[in-house]
Amino acid sequence: MKLLFIEDEPVLLDSIRNYFSEDGNICETATNLLTAREKISRYEYDCIILDIGLPDGNGLEVLQYIKEIDKDEGVLIVSGRNSLDDRLSGLNLGADDYIVKPFHLAELKARIMAVYRRRAFKGNNLLQYDSISINLDSMEVKVADHQVMLTRKEYDMLVYFIANKGKVVTRNAIADHLWHDEVDLAESFDFIYTHIKNLRKKMFDHCGKDYFKTVYGIGYKFS
Amino acid sequence: MKLAAQYARASMLVTVIVLLIAGCIYYFAISYIADQQFDRDLTEEFGEMNEFIQQHQRFPKPFEFDSYEAKFERIEQFIPPRFVDTTIKATSARAIISTVRLNGINYRMTVVESKEATQNLMQLIFAITLGLTVVLLIALFLTNRILLNGLWQPFYHLLNRLNTFSLTGKTGQDQQLIRIDEFQQLQTVIHVMEKRAAAEYETLKSFTENASHEMMTPIAVITSKLDNLIQDETLTETHLLQLQDIYNASGKLSRLGQSLLLLVKIDHQLIKDIAPIKLDQLLNEKLGQFAEIISEKYITVSMQLHPVNITVSPYLADILLNNLLGNAIRHNYHYGSITVHLNERSLIIANTGERNTLDSAKIFERFQKSLESEGTGLGLTIARNICNGYGWTLNYSFETPCHVFTITF
Repeated sequence: MKLLFIEDEPVLLDSIRNYFSEDGNICETATNLLTAREKISRYEYDCIILDIGLPDGNGLEVLQYIKEIDKDEGVLIVSGRNSLDDRLSGLNLGADDYIVKPFHLAELKARIMAVYRRRAFKGNNLLQYDSISINLDSMEVKVADHQVMLTRKEYDMLVYFIANKGKVVTRNAIADHLWHDEVDLAESFDFIYTHIKNLRKKMFDHCGKDYFKTVYGIGYKFS
Repeated sequence: MKLAAQYARASMLVTVIVLLIAGCIYYFAISYIADQQFDRDLTEEFGEMNEFIQQHQRFPKPFEFDSYEAKFERIEQFIPPRFVDTTIKATSARAIISTVRLNGINYRMTVVESKEATQNLMQLIFAITLGLTVVLLIALFLTNRILLNGLWQPFYHLLNRLNTFSLTGKTGQDQQLIRIDEFQQLQTVIHVMEKRAAAEYETLKSFTENASHEMMTPIAVITSKLDNLIQDETLTETHLLQLQDIYNASGKLSRLGQSLLLLVKIDHQLIKDIAPIKLDQLLNEKLGQFAEIISEKYITVSMQLHPVNITVSPYLADILLNNLLGNAIRHNYHYGSITVHLNERSLIIANTGERNTLDSAKIFERFQKSLESEGTGLGLTIARNICNGYGWTLNYSFETPCHVFTITF
């Protein structure tokens, strides 16, 4: 994927680039509106990640600019402001999704993947990883050509892990993704443990492979 | 009562009273003047008659003093002259009673004069006064109706503008020309006030949003650095355990920040989107969201929901139910129960749980939470403030073995 991150906090930009460029993604960055406009007009991107609090103006102007020059890039808005107005105007201006700071990089990646997939594979939305194939429209999961029945949470978790394959994903990130803050952390960790155990078993039964590696004390790695 | 109506009522009442008093004064004054006149006439007449009697040594014939009627009765002793009111032929009249001497005998002479002419005058005056009263009342009524309503029109216009004033809407676009100084002043003051309120609202809104942005970015930096750090395969288990603690702390910090900002937004009514909501449906949806943890804890949920429609911010309604139901589950024990009752008047959420060590009066205060609670200590404050914002009350009581939260609409 070719990604453009528009974000004025260089330290944050640095971590994002670090996290994303490992699996062959091309990550470009812009720290202000001017550079962002220039890059958008010159290059094509699979997804633009846009922080709307920029030093030289409101990031929503970038959305208008994309419309003006007739581009059709997927845009994911990042905002420190958990504001309804921003969310609505962003989505109305054609953004694909909206994520509020602070976020886990795993969550950002899962969202970007979703935006990218929705745009890149219209109609044929098949997610493939190793011997696992997931039809994202019908939510059917096949492992080594065998249909596997997953619960809603197990399914969400699997898609999330595939988006973050090869990365250590923390339990905090998974808990945020699955329950937001509806469940206490300690309880959600128990749920995650149970879900992973079941998911592991269901996959193992069909292909004899254990995709989940437990990283002691912190989370899991899917590979 | 409307100001104009109140004013009209008072002015009419005063008019009627003044006219009544004036009528009375007229009546007595004219009566008095008329009586004086009659008495003078009668005295004169008495003198003439007395003279006639002394001259002719006989009583006059009735036709000799045509407009007066005289009566003579024999009496023993002398009586001093006096005036009395009397009647002749059913009309009121004035009479003088006095003594005349004829041939050495005392006679009581009564001379009567009809008051008919004066009576007519009085009636005329009364009619004119009454007529004037009616005309004045009608005139007053119409003036009040037309003039006052017209005069107060700018006031109602301004009142309407204040009524429909919305912080988020446009202000002061319809500068209507007002001729009355007081209302013009009022309009200017309202205009200035609207502008200031709108400006302050905007400042506050951008402040909370900027504060949020400034606070969340460093937390985002911490989280993202951690996310990268844990990818390092050389980290030991001790490192990872410490990192987990940092994750938890930064997660809590972010929730705390979000909650505080939400509180500010609720307290300053910065969340203005409203939509009709079916509360019973929303409750069902919410319980569906919590289904997993409810079944995990083997909690029985019993519901009695009447269809209730409310118009509130969907966002706040969601937070309110999340907080209350979340607490009901979180502070419940295994195999406990939750009861939800909803009707037009109230929403009651009751859950079994350990007896609370918290003071029930303080439970809604900021950062009041039980030791084992992982939350921010703001959930119930947020819930209460949302309720207050819509004019509802949120109450807590402990009825063994249940914690009961009641929202009264």
